[in-house]
Amino acid sequence: MIITQIRTVGILAVLILLSCRRDYIEPPSTRIIVPDYFPLPVYKFSAEGLSEDEIDLGRRLFYDPILSLDSSISCGSCHSQVHAFADHNVPFSMGVGGAIGKRNAPALFNLAWHNNFMHDGGINHIELVPLAPITDELEMNLPIQDLILRLNRNKKYQAMFANVYGAGTITTSQLFKAITSFQLTLVSSSAKYDKVLLGADSYTPIEKRGHDIFMNSCGSCHQPPLFSDFSFANNGLDSVFKDAGKGRITQLSEDVGRFKVPSLRNISFTYPYMHDGRYYTLREVIDHYLAVGKSSKVFDKRIDVDLTLNESEIQALLKFLETLNDYEFIKDKRHSEPKN
Amino acid sequence: MKTIIKFAAFAALAVVAVSCKKESKPKANGECHIEMEYVWSMNNLPFTLNKTLYHPMTKDSLNFKTFKHYISNIKLHNVDGTIWTDQESYYLVDLSNPSSMKIHLTNVPEGEYDRIEFTLGVDSLRNVSGVQSGALDPVNNMFWSWSSGYIMIKAEGIFQKGNFSYHLGGFSGLNKAITQKNLAFPNGELLKINANASPVIHMKSNPAKLFHTHGSAEGAGGSKIHMPGSAATVMAQDFNSSVQIDHLHN
Repeated sequence: MIITQIRTVGILAVLILLSCRRDYIEPPSTRIIVPDYFPLPVYKFSAEGLSEDEIDLGRRLFYDPILSLDSSISCGSCHSQVHAFADHNVPFSMGVGGAIGKRNAPALFNLAWHNNFMHDGGINHIELVPLAPITDELEMNLPIQDLILRLNRNKKYQAMFANVYGAGTITTSQLFKAITSFQLTLVSSSAKYDKVLLGADSYTPIEKRGHDIFMNSCGSCHQPPLFSDFSFANNGLDSVFKDAGKGRITQLSEDVGRFKVPSLRNISFTYPYMHDGRYYTLREVIDHYLAVGKSSKVFDKRIDVDLTLNESEIQALLKFLETLNDYEFIKDKRHSEPKN
Repeated sequence: MKTIIKFAAFAALAVVAVSCKKESKPKANGECHIEMEYVWSMNNLPFTLNKTLYHPMTKDSLNFKTFKHYISNIKLHNVDGTIWTDQESYYLVDLSNPSSMKIHLTNVPEGEYDRIEFTLGVDSLRNVSGVQSGALDPVNNMFWSWSSGYIMIKAEGIFQKGNFSYHLGGFSGLNKAITQKNLAFPNGELLKINANASPVIHMKSNPAKLFHTHGSAEGAGGSKIHMPGSAATVMAQDFNSSVQIDHLHN
């Protein structure tokens, strides 16, 4: 183990020398355990970042309604731990003053592996994610400069930010980095799937059958071990898209109707499904994929047009999907709302 | 044991990281200023906010309430062949804030300089590197929340038929509202930096040029652009092409 670490760091140092850039540094916090079978995170950890105090500050901010216009809503209001940090089983979340959002709130976990954020991939860095919900009129509706003023007037936060970042004015950069550090700790890798992979558990025959069906028919986009390749796909939900998805960002016609492939980890906790939350059950989702290949709609080439599953195969697939639920993650007290 | 090895490894990494930085020691702490001047049309009418102006080509009336844009990555070319690079060189020029129209460059090595390089807009790297501070802090409302990237130029106001609002940005591919400039000082003049002087580079630009291709706020670009795209790129490049060095004050 130690030898592996030395070798890894040695190779990293050589890479850094070659590129003169910090390309990848092992997460410098015991809070982020990267399983061996996970790919390297996309997020560039810095050696000095992610202290326990910074993570704790980020957690407090995540759960503090001070981030919304009328101090009524926190990040945690619509990103609930028991739902793997998705909303409480509603298609669209409710913002300040009862405003209703336009897309289903995504679950939050394993974010260090994401290249971009939101269903349309419009946000290109995890640190910039909080800017959207804080300032969006349909969400927290608070201009960022107002929030920065608020935090600077708050004695508790003055002390906490000074403790982490040094004395001085609280800045947007500090605020976003603190929230980021907490979000990076939301690593979900303790599902039954993981335990089977590590040899600590085994599939029942029906789960094993479901696993094989999954790998055949779903795994090319919902690639293990993260259960997404984080690509964008038009999965044939509509013929005409009210929401252009990635096309809204790139303005390219071929991107209209493409949405980010979501991870299927914690899938039982995060319904309803799809960018607009149109399907409440996994059965509806499977039925969609069984039908779409035979429809005349335009859809991603990776969707299997010949997919047919009989009832027992569908049941097996559903059983396998349940092995992706990480009950330890949704109960982990380190991710929960602070008590004091 | 594990902790010690980890620590040693990170210490080694830190050394590697530090040794990557090239040392540049200025010979003297000279300074200079860049003064931004804005004129309306080629007749050199002064351009100011909250004043009705008429477009020189279309005769449209335009009253600007907001005009801001980014200048970044300033470099000065010394006649001896060396190039001085301004550190953390990001400036938001905001016409509602006169002090922002004067860019103060410090720690410039003593010497004579014949060219200036700069970027109009914010280089693509800072558009993809997470949260930034100073002139690039999102509190300046020059960063899009829903589609990461800087608004390189913000121009808002009133024209005959209502409001115009141009948030011009885009940093990649064809939709690049960024222009690199590399300009010799006019008439072969040299910028002379020494301990006893604070010379001024006068830059001049013409916001009427925003409409050079599109004609007016009623033209092809429309009166509202709030995302990257060809319309934004055309307007930004049209304005950027008007940014020139007018003269030096040594």
